[in-house]
Amino acid sequence: MVEITIRKRPRTEAVITQRKFFKKTARGKVVKVLRERYLRDDVACGIQGCRECSTEIPEPLPFSGSSEHQLYPNGHYLLPDTNVFLAQMDLIESSLFTPPIILLQTVIEEVRHRSLPLYNRLKALTKSEDKSIWIFYNEYRSETAIVREENEIPNDRNDRGIRVATAWYNTHISLTRPPIRGQKQTPHPTVVLMTEDAANREKAEKSGVTSSSVRKYVEGMKDANLLLDLLAADGSQEIEPTKAASGRQALYPDYLPISTLLAGVKAGELHQGHFNANQYNYLEGSVPVPAFDKPILLVGRENMNRAVQGDIVVVEVFPEKEWKAPADEVVDQEATLKNDDAEDSGEEGDENGEEVSVKESRVLSGSSSQKPPSERQPTGRVVGVVKRNWRAYVCHIDNTSLTSTLTTSLSTQTVFATPVSRLLPRIRLRTRQAPILLNQKILVTIDRWDATSRYPEGHFVRALGRVESKEAEQESLLLEFEVPYRPFGKAILDCLPPEGDQWVVPPKGEFDVQNIWREREDLRDVIVCSIDPPGCQDIDDALHAKLLPNGNIEAGVHIADVSHFVLPDNPMDSEAAARGTTVYLVDNRIDMLPSLLGTNLCSLRPFVERLAFSSIWELTPDAEIVSVRFTKSVIKSKAAFTYEEAQIRKDDPNLQDDLTNSIRLLNSLAIKLKAKRMAAGALNLASPEVKIHLDSAESSDPIDVEQKELRETNSLVEEFMLLANISVAKKIEESFPQTAVLRRHLPPPKTNFEKLQDILRKTKGLSLDVSSSGALAASLDICVDANEPAFNTLVRIMATRCMLSAEYFSSGSVAKNTFGHYGLASKIYTHFTSPIRRYADVLVHRQLSAAIGFTPLHATLHSKSHVERVLDVVNRRHRMAQMAGRASVEFYVGLALKARGEQAKVRGEADVKEEAFVIRTFRNGVGVFVSKLGIEGLVTFKRDTQFDAENYTITVPGAKKDVKISVFDKVIVRIEVEKDKNTQRGKVKMTLVEPVDSSAL
Amino acid sequence: MASTSISKAEKSYIQAGLLANPPRRADGRSLHDFRVISLETGFAPLSNGSAHLSIGRNPHNGSGGTDIMASVKLEVESIEEDASDGGRIVCNVSCSPSAYPHLTSGALDDLQYDLTTVLHQTLSHPSLHPKNLSIIPRKKSWLLNLDLLVTADAGNIYDALFMAARAALWDTKVPRTRSVEYKSPKSLSSASGDMDVDQDTTSGFDTRKVAHATDFELPDYWDEGEILEGRERWPVAITLNLVKTIHFLDATLQEEASCASRLLVVHSYESPTSPTVQSMRMLGSEELSILHLKNLIKEAESHTNTMFSSLTAKLEDEDFRRNQKARERFGKRR
Repeated sequence: MVEITIRKRPRTEAVITQRKFFKKTARGKVVKVLRERYLRDDVACGIQGCRECSTEIPEPLPFSGSSEHQLYPNGHYLLPDTNVFLAQMDLIESSLFTPPIILLQTVIEEVRHRSLPLYNRLKALTKSEDKSIWIFYNEYRSETAIVREENEIPNDRNDRGIRVATAWYNTHISLTRPPIRGQKQTPHPTVVLMTEDAANREKAEKSGVTSSSVRKYVEGMKDANLLLDLLAADGSQEIEPTKAASGRQALYPDYLPISTLLAGVKAGELHQGHFNANQYNYLEGSVPVPAFDKPILLVGRENMNRAVQGDIVVVEVFPEKEWKAPADEVVDQEATLKNDDAEDSGEEGDENGEEVSVKESRVLSGSSSQKPPSERQPTGRVVGVVKRNWRAYVCHIDNTSLTSTLTTSLSTQTVFATPVSRLLPRIRLRTRQAPILLNQKILVTIDRWDATSRYPEGHFVRALGRVESKEAEQESLLLEFEVPYRPFGKAILDCLPPEGDQWVVPPKGEFDVQNIWREREDLRDVIVCSIDPPGCQDIDDALHAKLLPNGNIEAGVHIADVSHFVLPDNPMDSEAAARGTTVYLVDNRIDMLPSLLGTNLCSLRPFVERLAFSSIWELTPDAEIVSVRFTKSVIKSKAAFTYEEAQIRKDDPNLQDDLTNSIRLLNSLAIKLKAKRMAAGALNLASPEVKIHLDSAESSDPIDVEQKELRETNSLVEEFMLLANISVAKKIEESFPQTAVLRRHLPPPKTNFEKLQDILRKTKGLSLDVSSSGALAASLDICVDANEPAFNTLVRIMATRCMLSAEYFSSGSVAKNTFGHYGLASKIYTHFTSPIRRYADVLVHRQLSAAIGFTPLHATLHSKSHVERVLDVVNRRHRMAQMAGRASVEFYVGLALKARGEQAKVRGEADVKEEAFVIRTFRNGVGVFVSKLGIEGLVTFKRDTQFDAENYTITVPGAKKDVKISVFDKVIVRIEVEKDKNTQRGKVKMTLVEPVDSSAL
Repeated sequence: MASTSISKAEKSYIQAGLLANPPRRADGRSLHDFRVISLETGFAPLSNGSAHLSIGRNPHNGSGGTDIMASVKLEVESIEEDASDGGRIVCNVSCSPSAYPHLTSGALDDLQYDLTTVLHQTLSHPSLHPKNLSIIPRKKSWLLNLDLLVTADAGNIYDALFMAARAALWDTKVPRTRSVEYKSPKSLSSASGDMDVDQDTTSGFDTRKVAHATDFELPDYWDEGEILEGRERWPVAITLNLVKTIHFLDATLQEEASCASRLLVVHSYESPTSPTVQSMRMLGSEELSILHLKNLIKEAESHTNTMFSSLTAKLEDEDFRRNQKARERFGKRR
């Protein structure tokens, strides 16, 4: 028996045993926290075979350390201090960085205190198998624990603690390995303190502790070339101050301290919001804040003050007389900053810098001077950044910034990386691999942005592959939109039914061991069919309809019963919640659920029994709802149609079978439902949707682009899905008024439409009534141009752009009168019909299942805050997925255009020309929309034109006389895909052909 | 306390002993001797300052004696429109029922109330108010809660309470705060108009320059903070127990019961020699002539003086023990 003794520790030791600190709570109270500390003598050092410390350590540090480093031939262990982890996490995480690391508790705690995301990365790192890391609890070992001296600041105390621990390790190693008589004494490995703080190093050397800076250490490693690139820019400065560092002038104003910012925001004098860069003009950005109707405009580099897209910034608003209107010019950073030299950009004094600033100030002053005051927006400047939203960005290396392009050259070069996204500034980085990285898509992280540097500084993370190779493009797309695309892990796959694809609905009765049939309705005999786009594998809905004896019609919507397989709170559920939605790219699909479920077990395939969640209505022939019920069921679909097949079948008068008749029945109901919806004021919105024709499944080379065709049957399915969603929304809101998962579409603020209304009035003499969704629908209907059928669609697209996006929310979180769905003109709405590809639907399924008493509601769905948190993620993922999908289409449109251009050349034709509509006018160009390809483009003129901002027209000199182009005019553009010479970024270039040829302009 | 019931015979025996020459007390002390006082500061680590004091505790088995725990807790308080600036002090005395087993709960409440009133009125007097209880002028300040708990009463409760209060307040550390504010840069306002507004007036009437600080932060969360300003000023009290012409100090319960009146004098020492009377209270039913009172106050002054100096010495010793000595001891063990 182990003898347990509890010794009461005398209060006189309080200084050692108690750690006291103050905490300020969110409500502004100050709380004193006390931590008791027990010092022990048996905290193990973690070195293999240490005779003092316990030997049963699963993954000890090697006995003789690592002897691969040239500075420490006797072997060494690395002991990094806090700042190394804060600044150089990418380096430590690299798989090439393998020395045995001793991680001190002091360091872990400091990292956690300073940055939670880095702390999480550090934690993950300690668990990873390819690293040899030992966590040493130095604050608990009696020899290494230290007490804060009087007037010692916490930072110094921690540094001292780290030094003491390093020194202890060195003595510990020499004490536990005494010389053995008769044997040659082998030299002991050293513990090397790694720190960037020169003063700390000095103190360490004084007390006999070996120390090294990060750069010096990495330079001595065998993969130094590759690793040095991973060094965050932070590190390079202190050791080898760059030539002009001292003489550098600050280009940007300093940020205010964070506490001041928060105080200012609290007092309402400063405003906090997300920074949005302007994609047309890199010198302009905006920050939407609640205090103003319009977002705060930030004009010019100094006022944007190093904010990067997505950062949460704090803005100071200028007095009203200094407010400006957004510029009406396209300012491309590549054009303006072409000659900026990466090596020394940032020094205001040099020629280049001057040139740049002159150019930029010309751009800024040229615009916005003669703008009507109505267009003025609150204008301000960024005074601080609350939270950086930096991540890894997909970039290209700008080849003009290279000094040497020899692939054999291994000298460090400072180069520019241009992010793929136009919203981001160029990033400066130092790399030895620059020549190799040309023509590649690479991942770059921003490390910092100093007030003295025009560009942010970053470091290279990894290469994705050659430009325009599909793999690289696809991965970069997923990375750019933060889509989690890794394959599902084992823990997740373990949640699938053990039978795998052999799983079937068990026969009713005694063989049903899992009791799957309990309270399930047997709808196997009902004539159910599914209608989906061609090639659809994840069929999540199916329909049926039949005449009832009383003359009414029974219609049913059957949705895959995903919640039967995805149980709350298991790894698969958490993963699905984190993914939020399935992402559809042109040639790929990133699933939310493992494909066994998505495309097999949950997919309502024909001729097999599948579990479903059914919503069954009794409707009058005029599509009035008599009653609705929801039930879990088992169905057996009789057919899986494409929209086209279903349409043909319906239209074929010779077919009189039950299946066809039920489609006809559904269709007649759908037409009435739609009419009712439209009468209630639903909007018929348009978005440019195109379809990419892929050559074959294997090569997936696009050959053509066409606009998506909409058939009657599309509308059929849509109407019944809407009906199901609305009915379910009502039911779950009734049952769970606090936590029901709903979807809403807020009415857009009137100001959003101002510009469109103005354009329509001035160019076409049309007016748009935006007072309600019904009024808007009606006035959109009369927005027609007899000569131009596409005009109406164009206006609809533009009106759609003015609206807010729909979002999921928890019913208890917002006021009940804001539940409405503006676009659908429904008082309440949710998503129920696609649980395979949307996580919100899974939650709705669970709630509905609880509402009908089928299963109890999981505890997490009773918690408002939990539901809110999940839905926040889902909303964000949803947005990102849409953008990724769009970007993927754009990429393929580009490829298709290129292919078409080449074919045209083969045939001896000039090039691709398409009709386009002008949607925006700038001082030096026009924005056009090519409806046939569903892409937007920009035509810029080099020469100045007459620009009339009031009337949205631009006058360009033509061959004979000047031509006036206004918004909504039809033009013909020549479309080429050209590679940007510098960045290898594929770019759709458009030039005007008619009414004027703009290539000379 | 007065409610300890003793018989007339006992009473007269005790009185006779006190009046005898040389005076005789049950525990052999002379008239102006104190029982052993033990004091420890910082016994409650979660408070901002604390002290544990006992008078007359048996050093061998720790039994008996008057026992008091005092603790100071600082709370952040938002200042309302009319409230005074610079913090408040609130004292509260609670008596454990086990200290007064013979009292009904109503009587215990009354006693607590009486003790609280005496302490609160004396300690929250503006002349003693420490200057560093303000966090943000006109916005936030510290509310100092001084709680005293009587766990045992063996006489001389007032002296003990004041001593414990002084020790706890002496021990109190106010967390350092830094007010944060946002000042809009001058350039904005001055550049916008050519009207010459006098910008740098330093007139006290200029209320426009009210600081905009709305919040504060803790610059160093490990630091216990700075000591309470003017901690030397906290008063000491002496109870003179009056029997006929003589007075004696540190009465036990029986002795208290046998003397008809007591005089409580509270002195604050700005300098070691000239005390200020912070409070004075006559307890009991007997009359007292002005002349006698004058003499008594003079006597009291010499008593508080010794008490003040020995208490201060002990408190400084405690500070030393808890910081330097402990650290040295920690250094040695390695």
